[in-house]
Amino acid sequence: MRRRAFVRGVGAYTPLGETWRETAERLAAGETAIRPITAFDATGFPCTVAAAMPVQLPDEDRRLPYARIAAREAWQMAGVAGEPARLGVFVGAESGRGRFATVLGLARAARSRAGGGFDHARFGRQARGFAAQIDESITSPSAVASGLAAEYGARGPVETISLACASGSAAIVEAVRAIRLGQCDVAVCGGVGADVDPLMIAGFGLLGILSERGVSCPFDVHRDGFVVGEGAAILVIAAERGDAACEIAGIGRSLDGHHLTAPDPDGDGAARAMTAALRDAGIAEVGYVQAHGTSTPLNDRIEIAAIRRALGAGVARAHVSSSKGALGHWVAGAGALGALYAWEAVARGRVLPTAGLTAPDPACDVDHVIGGAIAKHVPAALANAFAFGGANSCLVLTRCA
Amino acid sequence: MTVAIAIVGAAAISRHGAGWRGLGEALAAGAALPGVPALAPLGQPKVQKMMSRGAYLAASCLGALVREARIASPSSCGYFLGVGASGGSLDDVIALLAESIAGGGFSLARFGDRGLGACNPLLAFQLMNNFTLCHGAILEGLGGPNAALFSRGAGTTAALIEAVHAIADQDCAHAIAGGADSALHPVTLAELARERERRPALAPSRAAQARDASSPRTALGVVEGHASASGDAGGSAGPGRDQSGRLAFTPTEDTAPGAIGVAPTNAAPSGVVEESELVPSEGAALLALQALEESPNTDVLGVVEGSAIASGLGRPLVEAVEEAVTRAVLTGADLVVIAPWCRAVAAELRGWAHDNVPDALVVDTSALGEALAASPALAWVAALDLLVAGRARRALVLGAGTDGDIGAVVLAREPA
Repeated sequence: MRRRAFVRGVGAYTPLGETWRETAERLAAGETAIRPITAFDATGFPCTVAAAMPVQLPDEDRRLPYARIAAREAWQMAGVAGEPARLGVFVGAESGRGRFATVLGLARAARSRAGGGFDHARFGRQARGFAAQIDESITSPSAVASGLAAEYGARGPVETISLACASGSAAIVEAVRAIRLGQCDVAVCGGVGADVDPLMIAGFGLLGILSERGVSCPFDVHRDGFVVGEGAAILVIAAERGDAACEIAGIGRSLDGHHLTAPDPDGDGAARAMTAALRDAGIAEVGYVQAHGTSTPLNDRIEIAAIRRALGAGVARAHVSSSKGALGHWVAGAGALGALYAWEAVARGRVLPTAGLTAPDPACDVDHVIGGAIAKHVPAALANAFAFGGANSCLVLTRCA
Repeated sequence: MTVAIAIVGAAAISRHGAGWRGLGEALAAGAALPGVPALAPLGQPKVQKMMSRGAYLAASCLGALVREARIASPSSCGYFLGVGASGGSLDDVIALLAESIAGGGFSLARFGDRGLGACNPLLAFQLMNNFTLCHGAILEGLGGPNAALFSRGAGTTAALIEAVHAIADQDCAHAIAGGADSALHPVTLAELARERERRPALAPSRAAQARDASSPRTALGVVEGHASASGDAGGSAGPGRDQSGRLAFTPTEDTAPGAIGVAPTNAAPSGVVEESELVPSEGAALLALQALEESPNTDVLGVVEGSAIASGLGRPLVEAVEEAVTRAVLTGADLVVIAPWCRAVAAELRGWAHDNVPDALVVDTSALGEALAASPALAWVAALDLLVAGRARRALVLGAGTDGDIGAVVLAREPA
């Protein structure tokens, strides 16, 4: 008989609160965290708003501090104990970034005097100085998982999933598999995003995928791109139920194998991941779908088509919402935040709304949650995460029988 | 992990060249290695501009594997890959920053106004680690379950474990597992050099990553890449010492045809390579897997019998080896292939093998250099080569990367 993965604790650190409980209350009221960027001068940038933390932490890299705060809430709620060898850590994260001053120092020292390009020989001559400036504990994607493992004394599997916007969801998938396979009994899992910085805003802007209007409104007829957000969402899952109200009963993954940025126009890859997760959970219907819902014109429309295909007639009984209207796109943390929305629906019977959505696009015709949260008994929920590059990851959360 | 899965194809790119056959034999014989070959162009030029070096290696290797293994339905094939920190073109970063200077200093406003325009707009794609997996998947039309696991060693073994269980759980009929990475990007080279200087040779890097509060930190992170340390004036890349005996760097050259980002460096390491130093390199290696019962005997190259990872955090390396080997359920190996990240670790692993598998042939893959996420997978295909050649019946492959964890994989020529 397959081991089950019960959700024992959840935690988050978001621009709307230092805990998931606080965040959820504000989300339920329809609040949004999207504001003009104040952490740096965003004049001239492709997008000048973000869902950023109201208080800047002193740490140079924000990923681990965010994740630590979220993990503490989840760990405290879980109330689990066990031997370190049976505790695993699974985190979705991308590389960290340092100060521009450091980057500028490298650029100056490595820039060819003649041509202006990267001068390997010059870099080589000055590399000792750079070596002292570079800290793997800040830049490495694995720094977050390693830091959490050290904090909780985890000696079981410690994994970092770098799957762009699906990283957080895929990390939870890995944790569920590790529980099922008996590789660990308890897992701290989730994702973190800290991309409200000049380079990432610039990078996403260059790709033309940010909202020029500075509005995140998934599924709205006026949507024109996403808004970057940041935060961490962590779950503690365990093989023992304890007092858990719900479990992660289904996991599904797929690749579009289609295009680096654009989704499969038929939504085939997304639908296959959803179907796989539903099949894994042994169910055909859900009462709620936490959509990836980025607020980009193409993605939202295709995702809704994929949801309709995966749920069939059951789509009529499912509410749909997206976290990105209120909290922006957390990139590597987005899938884990989506899992918390699904948990809120299943465990607490509260379906959180899509902030920013006022005029639903007819091409995205489903039962949206608009304005504020609704109370609903949700036996099962689906949480989607779809990444640049076409990697898709889906979770099904169900109420414990 | 005790589920036996058939290996029905393999591919590799390494300092041995392109291809996996003969790799194990060459390492066992201590043969000279020609170096990482120049790779053929892939896809459209625009696509190539979006590839980091790791993505290029992975996509090239995947193409070779798909052709060799004749995967019938790539749209449902799983793909699980150990990946490194994706390195972008430093020329782009420098161009971006150079246009962002005003009044002798960096100006965010100028960065927004002019710096962005000076940069290759596709730079962002070079920086995403998952694109090491996705580029190849798109080119080959792979559509099954997948994961890109960041790896400085053990993550690549985790990718194999995932692939095996994806097949065993019938998530997919076929899966591809392996690793691809380059340690030759200047920034990663600097990172690794710093790690080398900061910690004792055998201490896992996680100890450094656990944020010692007493350690002052600054960061560089726009582009993660790879580092080389050598004091040889001849210009070849590799670890060594300068004239004063201090760790120093030599340039890597951006000259290989079709190279993206930083080109491979084929020159052998120069200078005195001390026991604890790593030899930066690059490569990719993949295995094509499917359920044993679904595999005609003629297609089966070998079997994955077991795989496991053990944490190296806060304990002697050999203890982690013991745990990983026990969990991988090793019985009767006559070949041990080791993938150590440096010579001191190699000595530890060889010592363990001598004490615990005394009659086995021990093959050290150090000559391939430290290819980070690719190194464990290169050791798998080296072992497979020796199994297929009849040099052994069962191989234990030990991967010990800079993350300090140990990955153990048991491969056999035939099912037990």
